[in-house]
Amino acid sequence: MLGDFISEKRQLFSAGMHTELRAQENRQRKVTLAAGNLTTNSRTETAGVSARVYKNGVYGFSSMAECSGQAAETVLKAATENAVFMDGHIGKGKGNLPAISSGNVLLNKEITDAGQKSYIEFARELDSYIVKKYPKLSSRTISVMADSMEKRIVTSDGYSGHIALPRGHVYLFLNTETDAGIPVDLFCAAAGGFGNFEDHFTDPAFFYPKIDELYEKLMHKREGVYAEAGQKTVVLGGFLSGMLAHEAVGHTVEADIVLGGSVAGPALNKRVASDLVTMVDYAHTTPFGPAPLPVLLDDEGTPAEDAVLIKDGILTGYMNSRETAEHFGMKPQGNARAWSFSDEPLIRMRNTTVLPGKDKLEDMIASVEDGYYLTDAGNGQADLTGEFMFGTTMGYEIKHGKLGRAILDTTISGVAFEMLKTVDMVSDSVTWSSSGFCGKKQIMPVGMGGPALRCQVMVGGR
Amino acid sequence: MENIQIVADRTEEILKEKDVQMAYFTVSSSEMREFNVEGGEFSLFRTLYDSDLNITVYKDQKKGVVTINRLEEPAIREAVENGLKSAESGIADPDHGIAPKQEKKVFRQGVYEPDIERFFARSQELMEDVKEQFPKILIHSIVLSHTKYHSVYRNTNGTEFETYSGAYSVSLGFAGHEGEQTTSLCGSEFKTESLEKPFISLGSLKKDLEDAQAQLGPVSLSGKLDGVLILTPQCLSELLYGVISNFVSDHAVLEKTSIWMDKLGKKVADERLTISAAPLDERILCGQRYTQEGFLAENYDVIKNGVLQSFMLSLYVANKTGFERAKNTSYAIVIEGGDMSYEEMIRNVKSGMIVGGFSGGQPSVNGDFSGVAKNGFLIEDGNIKGAVTEVMISGNLSELLNHLVGISKETVADGDKVLPYMAFTDVVIAGK
Repeated sequence: MLGDFISEKRQLFSAGMHTELRAQENRQRKVTLAAGNLTTNSRTETAGVSARVYKNGVYGFSSMAECSGQAAETVLKAATENAVFMDGHIGKGKGNLPAISSGNVLLNKEITDAGQKSYIEFARELDSYIVKKYPKLSSRTISVMADSMEKRIVTSDGYSGHIALPRGHVYLFLNTETDAGIPVDLFCAAAGGFGNFEDHFTDPAFFYPKIDELYEKLMHKREGVYAEAGQKTVVLGGFLSGMLAHEAVGHTVEADIVLGGSVAGPALNKRVASDLVTMVDYAHTTPFGPAPLPVLLDDEGTPAEDAVLIKDGILTGYMNSRETAEHFGMKPQGNARAWSFSDEPLIRMRNTTVLPGKDKLEDMIASVEDGYYLTDAGNGQADLTGEFMFGTTMGYEIKHGKLGRAILDTTISGVAFEMLKTVDMVSDSVTWSSSGFCGKKQIMPVGMGGPALRCQVMVGGR
Repeated sequence: MENIQIVADRTEEILKEKDVQMAYFTVSSSEMREFNVEGGEFSLFRTLYDSDLNITVYKDQKKGVVTINRLEEPAIREAVENGLKSAESGIADPDHGIAPKQEKKVFRQGVYEPDIERFFARSQELMEDVKEQFPKILIHSIVLSHTKYHSVYRNTNGTEFETYSGAYSVSLGFAGHEGEQTTSLCGSEFKTESLEKPFISLGSLKKDLEDAQAQLGPVSLSGKLDGVLILTPQCLSELLYGVISNFVSDHAVLEKTSIWMDKLGKKVADERLTISAAPLDERILCGQRYTQEGFLAENYDVIKNGVLQSFMLSLYVANKTGFERAKNTSYAIVIEGGDMSYEEMIRNVKSGMIVGGFSGGQPSVNGDFSGVAKNGFLIEDGNIKGAVTEVMISGNLSELLNHLVGISKETVADGDKVLPYMAFTDVVIAGK
């Protein structure tokens, strides 16, 4: 466990300058079996201390790869000097940040460490199941991965705390060929989530149905056809609508992106979606249970609470740091987070989701005359304009209300605040995922979720 | 901070003490200074002191890798022991290996000690230049950094490489902005070892800013457009990454998913195309000097005059598959300029589009790609007709390389790669 060598350094904070001192350890474990070869067998541990100091509208930051009181003093001094340097050269002349409540958050989850052998044996069990049951696959890759952040945070005027965010996931990649010898692949983050290795990876047999499902989909895709390009009616599966919540809407309503010219700037308090759409960035607890990746406290010392972003189709708020919250006259809600000890806090999502509606998925599919049901996606990106794209890796034609042939990889796109207005059916259950990293200068584990949505998007195809 | 030569000695002693027969490790220390601009204003100055020890050990041909950033003796000992435990849990593989002993080398690259006051002055000047010369540009973010890096690499065959390197790095995110109208987020980045020239004149920054401003007031494209696609160097880089990852990388060859598995020595692209991996090229800043296995890096051609010359393989995958290992394992891609100017290239297009960025899904294993064409301009009868938005492009990467129309004389060198503009046909360009 990360020791406390920073609390006593609070006395060294400079008066009148908001100061954060953070000790942090990150761990990563990764095992990859590619075509039966152990290509990755790695353990990474990085730890250190950082300080950030705010002076008149600018920040100074410093970090050191050392966990000691002396290192804490060094980074406090360097961060303060950097803040003074910037203030001297830039001179924004702003005052200190508005005060927030103070308190203390206790450790929410102890991080335990499974030996590398456990990861390797687990991956080998899954690999052997695949080889025995599906010998005709041309290749397969299994990755078992875990990462964790443990932080101690002390601030001059907010909460202090000791928090941890461990998670682990299994990723499966299966490859086959069409009759013409063209390679086709499909992957999924099979299972896992918040917690330590032993919380998720006790019994490989639990993952076998996920492998079977993935194989079945791959066989459909092997016979798949190219999607037809153009504007289409689609049913986005829950995984894709979670991605939509994160990429297409979430990023545009991060307050730093708003300041950079995002389309959400002039859209506040205006209709951006049909009234079936409500979207929330949950901190740690959702109406349906614990959030996939609970965040109790951010790295600015703000206790985390839910951020309602869209309510009944109206854009109601942004996600903020303490500084942007002051700028927009909003309340900071604990979104400023850093990935590594050497990273500064940035505005990040936590567990972003579209709330479920009342429709049944089967009714939604039955209602489409000619369109697509899209179930899996590889990656996604969004723009300041709200224009988004997702690389879809699995989906099916819908013809006359019935699922038809599988489709090959394609990309869908749209403009979020236009596309969301076309949402006319919302399913009654949410699919969550927590296996991804969000990239925004730094990486960050995030949760995302959503119900199935019937809407109009552009489909890329031949 | 620990002296990294002493840390290297300590690590080597522990490896010997544990009777490790095959291993390599890198100890590094770095100092980074970084200025950040957010929402058009300077917001942050960072100073980072970092260190790193990455050890790869083999026991009975089983491999384990450990990375830590604590360099004191007990931490190193624990790391070696964890590496050995990981290896013991692994799978014996005769194809693991490291390079034979190489002569000791010290590499000095770029500018090791930064001039922070001058760097900051250039950064402020950049902000002013953008404001004055590009009034319709809204700066979203700028990250300006200098990293001073010192490392020692050793392996159990007695090789030692020591590196001192440093470079200034500038990365901008910006958009055209007027009233409530905003263009797509555009990016531009470059590395430099010199502070002699204003930053706005480096890389492709000025052109990228011009293009972003010209993106204001785009029109939508209706239906499909049958024509030529001109890719900017930035967009080309994104698609080339797909070519490398899908067709010539370690995983594509190891898993035999590459559609070029049997194409070595055969034509895979237009004969005018040569793609080199060239970290020693003088236009590449702080390029790779040695591989992880301990081989000195050399430049080589992946494709020469349209013929596949080499996969980009590590020693392990080379041993595993029987192909030759790559002479370096970097992504320092160089494509030399062609025989027509960028202007001529546009003039020759009857119908088509310039694409400045590609926002798409990972290309399929067979090379099929589709995605949103970002920062696009329509071309009609040899003239740029204006900005266009909400256009999707799709095609196949392998087919694309065989449908080359031309390569521009002009190239953009951003310190990491050197690429020209390139024009292709056989891509589906689809609007709403």
